[in-house]
Amino acid sequence: MTPPAEPAAAGPLRAVLAELRSGTRTLDEVSRRTGLPRDVVGAAVEQLVRLGRVTSSTLGSGCPEDGCGTCSSGTSCAVRSSRAPSGRRPVLVALSVRRPAR
Amino acid sequence: MRTASGTKAPARPAVPSCHGGGGGDVVRDGKPVVALVGSPNVGKSSLFNAVTGARRSVGNWAGTSVEVGTGSWRAAELDAVVVDLPGAYGLDPLSPDEELTRDLLVRPDPAELPDVVVVVVSAADLARTLYLAVQVLEQPLRVVLAVTMADVAARRGIEVDAVALGAALGDVPVVPVDPRRGRIAGLAEAVGGALAGPAARWPLPAGSGDGDAGPDTETPDADLGKDADPGDDADLAAADLEEDVDLAAADRRFTLVAAATAAATRRTGSRRTDWSDRVDRVVTSPVVGPLVFLLVMWAVFHLTTRVAAPVQGALDTLVSGPVSGGVRALLGTVGLGRTWVEGLLVDGVIAGVGMLLTFVPVMAVMFALLAVLEDSGYLARAAVVTDRLMRAVGLPGRAFLPLVVGFGCNVPGVSATRVLPNARQRLLTVLLVPFTSCSARLTVYVLVASSFFGRHAGDVIFGMYVLSIVLVVLAGLLLRSTLLRALGTEDLVLDLPRYQLPMPRLLLAVTWMRLSAFLRTAGGVIVATVVVVWALSAVQLGGDRSGDRVQNSAYGALAATAAPVFAPAGFGDWHATGALVVGFVAKEAVVSSWAQTYATDQPGDVARPGRLGESLRADFARSSGGHVTPAVLAFLVFLLGYTPCAATLAAQRREIGTRWTLVGLGTQLTLAWTLAVCVFQIGRLLT
Repeated sequence: MTPPAEPAAAGPLRAVLAELRSGTRTLDEVSRRTGLPRDVVGAAVEQLVRLGRVTSSTLGSGCPEDGCGTCSSGTSCAVRSSRAPSGRRPVLVALSVRRPAR
Repeated sequence: MRTASGTKAPARPAVPSCHGGGGGDVVRDGKPVVALVGSPNVGKSSLFNAVTGARRSVGNWAGTSVEVGTGSWRAAELDAVVVDLPGAYGLDPLSPDEELTRDLLVRPDPAELPDVVVVVVSAADLARTLYLAVQVLEQPLRVVLAVTMADVAARRGIEVDAVALGAALGDVPVVPVDPRRGRIAGLAEAVGGALAGPAARWPLPAGSGDGDAGPDTETPDADLGKDADPGDDADLAAADLEEDVDLAAADRRFTLVAAATAAATRRTGSRRTDWSDRVDRVVTSPVVGPLVFLLVMWAVFHLTTRVAAPVQGALDTLVSGPVSGGVRALLGTVGLGRTWVEGLLVDGVIAGVGMLLTFVPVMAVMFALLAVLEDSGYLARAAVVTDRLMRAVGLPGRAFLPLVVGFGCNVPGVSATRVLPNARQRLLTVLLVPFTSCSARLTVYVLVASSFFGRHAGDVIFGMYVLSIVLVVLAGLLLRSTLLRALGTEDLVLDLPRYQLPMPRLLLAVTWMRLSAFLRTAGGVIVATVVVVWALSAVQLGGDRSGDRVQNSAYGALAATAAPVFAPAGFGDWHATGALVVGFVAKEAVVSSWAQTYATDQPGDVARPGRLGESLRADFARSSGGHVTPAVLAFLVFLLGYTPCAATLAAQRREIGTRWTLVGLGTQLTLAWTLAVCVFQIGRLLT
């Protein structure tokens, strides 16, 4: 096996991260602006989340995952996660760039 | 051992050597050991079953609680022991499963490594699954790539060229397989060929240390939701440098991933999801998107009122007639007729809670329609549209998350502000959540709108939700320009899921979940409120006993005290103000207290359906001097703007403290009253 050619400049991860920082609102937009295929952008974001550079939170129209305090719906929402029928996807995934702790 | 970032790695489990003559978990009997690795859901276990004939022994790996399968792979070209390692997205472990996989593939002694590693990647998800392959290729291992799920990729219009993929990764043997159909030809031969060759090792990406790919097992976003805590500058600088090195190494790997994906992937036709992209261009566009959003919400509220209205009427008839009459008759037969027990049960609980229960069809239809929007993927597009609006007025992007939750219930909306990392952003959002129109307010909207606006009830309810968004924006601007000037900015990106057909089973489950929460409120807080209102109504304060019983009670006196405040808004009637005072407990209690006080006032009229609407129309006509429509609209505006419920106040106090909760309370009451007065006074001039 021979190693493939070395990459020249900033790669997809840094390009995607720069777009996220620049205020681009959707991953489709990131794909259009960077010229990277949408699946590569999605994979890059997942990698950035793993690296701790981006945080990801899912959103449904119901309650947040970290508890509902005194809400009367709290019990049913807590039950929801364990009893939710399989195949249900998050309504939305919100990604935020994590700022360095300077 | 040092990690990629130079930090001390966690202690590794005592794993047996693959070459150690069968130490513990892998009994090799002099056979080569082949490890199967891959990301979750790439078909790795199917491949394991295909090569071993589904004969496997499964057990926890020594010293861990991670399950690993082993078996024998016997083919013409090969007789080996196969180890099915836990699924992993990379060799930087974030879970015990990934840690074990990393530990077995990244070892200082090459003699302890598997003889061949088969990395399973998915043709349908090449970019996502290749990162692990690239990390494995960096190790001194013999590597073969198995590409699965070509059928799934083909359905998406994607074709993967195995030869091109192998070339792009540096002449790695790549074998397309379909283990679910038993098609694994060529894989044993490729593994046999790899066994005959030397182990290869790429140059490592800059900064990746001695080859240990794992920085550590700590979850990187473990400190989410906390404010940045200033610490030692040197430590922070070292941490930043460490993060930069990790990013640079990952970026170099990802460059290879992107290049290999581009070289090996060919689009064989238009993607089936192209229509989804076309729809998105319209529904998320800056101009048309908001209009589509408004149209969709208008349709939701029209359908809600039109579909549910007949059923609600039937339930009203049932509660007002047979149920009330039956309980009254039953109490009469046991000697409790015309006693306080009958008053409490029939005029209190049944009138109040029963009226609330007539809204079950309304809530069910509303929740079902919102579930359709959610499950189809449209709600995510609506979030993009509203997020754009929020950014335009300078509100923090992530604030829309709790605000969207607030449209269901304000209490979890307040709790959801914990996702905001900045304390001032959190404070602002907690103060804004009460302006989102929760589902409890919907009961009052429906009752009032259907009583006063007939077939235009849906339009009025829709207008209330639009006004709710406007109030959030107005209050946000007000707070930003006064109390909370410096908020800073934050990046936020929304990942939109593909549109999909909602599943009826899921819709029913979600609708029932929310409906049951509504029913629990009606059965708990509202029953308690009804009892308190009944008790206050029973306390007569002397004077004219022949007049209105409730008006002469402690409840009536309390409500009458507040009534003059609302005279400029056109609803300075004690029935309306009493209901608003009770609404501090919960907004559903507005409906129940109206039903209860009118039932107590006019007990002989209790069996007539629709009596509540008639009573409301008469009182609003009286209090507004004939300008009913502006007065009703003013009432609805006040209801939307003032404090949602006691539970929300408690949640706010928990999140932002007493002082800011009181500031919020004052802002809500002032804004709500001012707007209500404006609506009535302007409306009065126009009508």
